Amino acid sequence: MTPLARSRLRSTVIHLVLFIVLGFWMMPQVYMLSIGLRTPAQAFDAALFTWPVTFDNFATVIRDNPLGGIFLNSLIVTVATVAIVVAVASLFAFACAILRLKGSLFLYTTLLTTLMVPLASMVLPLAILLRNFGWVNTYIGLILPYAALGVPFAMVILKSFLEDAPRELFEAARVDGCNAWQTYWHVALPLVRPALVFVTIWQFIVTWNEFFLALIVLTKAEMKTLTIVPMQYSGLYMANPGALFAVLTLIALPLILLYVLVQRAFVRGLLAGAVKG
Amino acid sequence: MATLSIDKITKAFGSVMVIPELSLTVPDGEFCVLVGPSGCGKSTLLRIIAGLEPVNSGRILVDGVDMSDAEPPERGVAMVFQSYALYPHMDVGRNIGFGLEIARTPSAEIAERVRRAADKLRLSSYLRRRPRELSGGQRQRVAIGRAITRKPKLFLLDEPLSNLDAALRVGMRIEIARLKAELASTMIYVTHDQVEAMTLADRIVVMDGGRIEQVGTPLELYHRPANLFVAGFIGSPAMNFLKGRVATVQDKQATVRLVLGPTLDIPVSKPLEPGDEVILGIRPEHVLLSAEEHPDVHVVKAGVVELLGSDTFIHVRDGEENLVIRDSSGRVARAGDRIAISLPTSACHLFDKTGHRISENAPTRWEPIPAKARIN
Amino acid sequence: MRAEAVRAGPAAAIERRPASRTSTLYLFALPATLLFVVFIAYPILWVAGQSFYVRSGSGTSSFAGLANYVTVLGDPTFWIVVRNMLLWGVITIPVQMLIGGVLAYFIERHTHALRGFFRTMFFLPVVTSVSVISLVWVQIYAPYYGIAQEYLKHVGFVMMTSPIGDPKMAIYALVIVNIWQWTGFSMLMYIAGIANLPSEVLDAARVDGARGWRLAMHVIVPMLAPATKSLLLLGVIGTLQTFPIVHLMTGGGPNRASEVFGTFIFKQSFVLGDTGSGAALSVIVLVVALVLSLLQIVTLGARLTPAGKERA
Repeated sequence: MTPLARSRLRSTVIHLVLFIVLGFWMMPQVYMLSIGLRTPAQAFDAALFTWPVTFDNFATVIRDNPLGGIFLNSLIVTVATVAIVVAVASLFAFACAILRLKGSLFLYTTLLTTLMVPLASMVLPLAILLRNFGWVNTYIGLILPYAALGVPFAMVILKSFLEDAPRELFEAARVDGCNAWQTYWHVALPLVRPALVFVTIWQFIVTWNEFFLALIVLTKAEMKTLTIVPMQYSGLYMANPGALFAVLTLIALPLILLYVLVQRAFVRGLLAGAVKG
Repeated sequence: MATLSIDKITKAFGSVMVIPELSLTVPDGEFCVLVGPSGCGKSTLLRIIAGLEPVNSGRILVDGVDMSDAEPPERGVAMVFQSYALYPHMDVGRNIGFGLEIARTPSAEIAERVRRAADKLRLSSYLRRRPRELSGGQRQRVAIGRAITRKPKLFLLDEPLSNLDAALRVGMRIEIARLKAELASTMIYVTHDQVEAMTLADRIVVMDGGRIEQVGTPLELYHRPANLFVAGFIGSPAMNFLKGRVATVQDKQATVRLVLGPTLDIPVSKPLEPGDEVILGIRPEHVLLSAEEHPDVHVVKAGVVELLGSDTFIHVRDGEENLVIRDSSGRVARAGDRIAISLPTSACHLFDKTGHRISENAPTRWEPIPAKARIN
Repeated sequence: MRAEAVRAGPAAAIERRPASRTSTLYLFALPATLLFVVFIAYPILWVAGQSFYVRSGSGTSSFAGLANYVTVLGDPTFWIVVRNMLLWGVITIPVQMLIGGVLAYFIERHTHALRGFFRTMFFLPVVTSVSVISLVWVQIYAPYYGIAQEYLKHVGFVMMTSPIGDPKMAIYALVIVNIWQWTGFSMLMYIAGIANLPSEVLDAARVDGARGWRLAMHVIVPMLAPATKSLLLLGVIGTLQTFPIVHLMTGGGPNRASEVFGTFIFKQSFVLGDTGSGAALSVIVLVVALVLSLLQIVTLGARLTPAGKERA
């Protein structure tokens, strides 16, 4: 065999194996969709696929449930959290990496310990704190704790990007007459755009899917977010898996679609230096 | 257009003193070059002038006004950075006009001034491009354009040519020389390249270890270096230093016996005693090659010979003493040749043990080219 | 935190920068500091304090010293939790690294046109809501109509009951779900690591004759050490905060067999209302996390985030 033919064969085999592994990997999602598409008669069949398919379940659950409102709750909490995290973390990273304020390194190290704190040990005190603030069942009661937990990670990424940027650029901005805010806005933020995109997407995913704190803070039905409603549907549709899995599919879908749309930018940010060995 | 006065400034990074105490005045409209080996503090000094680096003590005055605490724009400085420091996310036009934008200049005026700068620097067709789409020379011109649109009082350049390849560097050097004539603003230029310093400067400030070694016009530095450091730094190949001892002193005339052999009579300005150790400096281009042996010449054996076409560099080694001869006559020597040299006393510089200049003569051969020889 | 700003005053004066100018710059650091103080530092201090108090039936709390800790450590469930957490960490972290690393290697070095497709598809479980995932896996594991028992039957693996209903099997069944969900994350971390390997080193290795298996084992794996260390650190913290999968799939059962720190704290604090032992548990988890993390940071030089780079 010529080297070219050999490498082509190897490539085909590798692709084949990857597709087979992916087939197994995607089974839970395929199964979810497949149950959602079943008629009541097939709902309990022990099979990955059944025939025929029906969209009745989707029509039913969309008609019967306030999914739009729940989706909106998730969106409000997530977008607000992401905005706060990106703004606060980039300001802080700028203070550390560019302004090099006295004491900022100490603050930075202190904030970093947040990353070592498991959420499990924070839910009890946060729940009490939010109760004292009267923030149970409010958006802000989720947004601010999420932001506090998210800022350290974003700040690490942004700081490392800012430190990699040529220092002369920030000096040039000073010579051009920029004050600290103008330098932050006109020079620092555009320079770290890939990192901002990365941080935004990652924070969006984490916030959208957060479960533990949401479970404790949101008890009123009209405040609930998408991640905590599946439980109640599993009770509601116990005898109707088709409807349950249609709802689950609808709940999982927005973030999956969003990720597929932005994954290029996300991976680009990651490759641009979020991880460097 | 401004006079810059630096008044007894000191600068330390932590416990490291980079500028012990330094004063300097740059008059209005002068092109002043700060030159010295890397780490001599020249870039730090420039950054202090720019207002990017605070001083520990002393004052910076622009036109007599104390600007020690002022931000760069208040001082009226513009700066060209070594790496150009162009904003990668802005196009050329916005890069050039950004300082005006921050100063809230009306946009019509920004556009006009950007256009004029771009015309002057032949950048007009690149205004919509991003810096990464430009060549090194073009980026360099953008960096200069950014500085000149500000109409700065002080125009600072930090090794602006060091990132360019050799061919471009010559072209940009000429461009900067032309700019200097057009702008007539006070320019301060940092470089480690003495050719740039010699060709561009009205006045050169030679620095070493955070101190000013000598300030003077290029030709003053070339012909009357104040000490061994300046003598060795200015000129290429570097000046030869030959060890010697004073034999006799008479009427401010010292007879010096060199370790290499010859004895020379050199006028001195400082008192000397017979037996004092001295160092004699002579530039490679001033060492004369003689055709034949006679009492005034000294015969040495050629070591490595470098042929550059226009010039021939002959390296001579005799014990501890090294000598380089630059011959532009077009003659060719080979390693091992016995050659006769003479050291004209008018071109000799004498330094004492501490490195200070003690010879009196100023062998300035600076005279106008005769009118007939000029090309009109 | 204000002390920092005050301290900068005289220091800035030495550098002869007007103090007013520098102190306003602390506004850049203020929001992050406030968030940290109110929502991280204060709750931690509060929970640490509460762990020394017991609340009586009438609602008044009294100082109880280490009583809460004694109660918690004497609870047999606590030791089931410890065992489960150990199993969880010891299985999920290396398995995710291994599968994620192998996937990353083949995707990054042997695919071109489909690279983005594979990267995205294997990462999808990470972005799929964990509550959805949990319910799907309950269905998969279900007896009679779940596909797991149906298909595993054909390879000679007969399940009579749902594995999550079996006290011996439950924790392993949950571990599998966790591995499935988070392997894509390990894969992406390794992909970033592989993509950023200096190509000169790989070329040099080829010139030295290292190819295929030897190239992977002797050159690529060691050079991915930073990603591996980050994953280890993130894995330990992730293990300690495990909650949704367990809460939704088994609720810690059957008979507390799959209890983890998250569900244990949740039950003590919110179901039983015993904030004293809930606080003591929170503090224990926190201390374990900090000790294990710092241990890794000190001994391995591991990093807390996938970000940042080796700095001398």
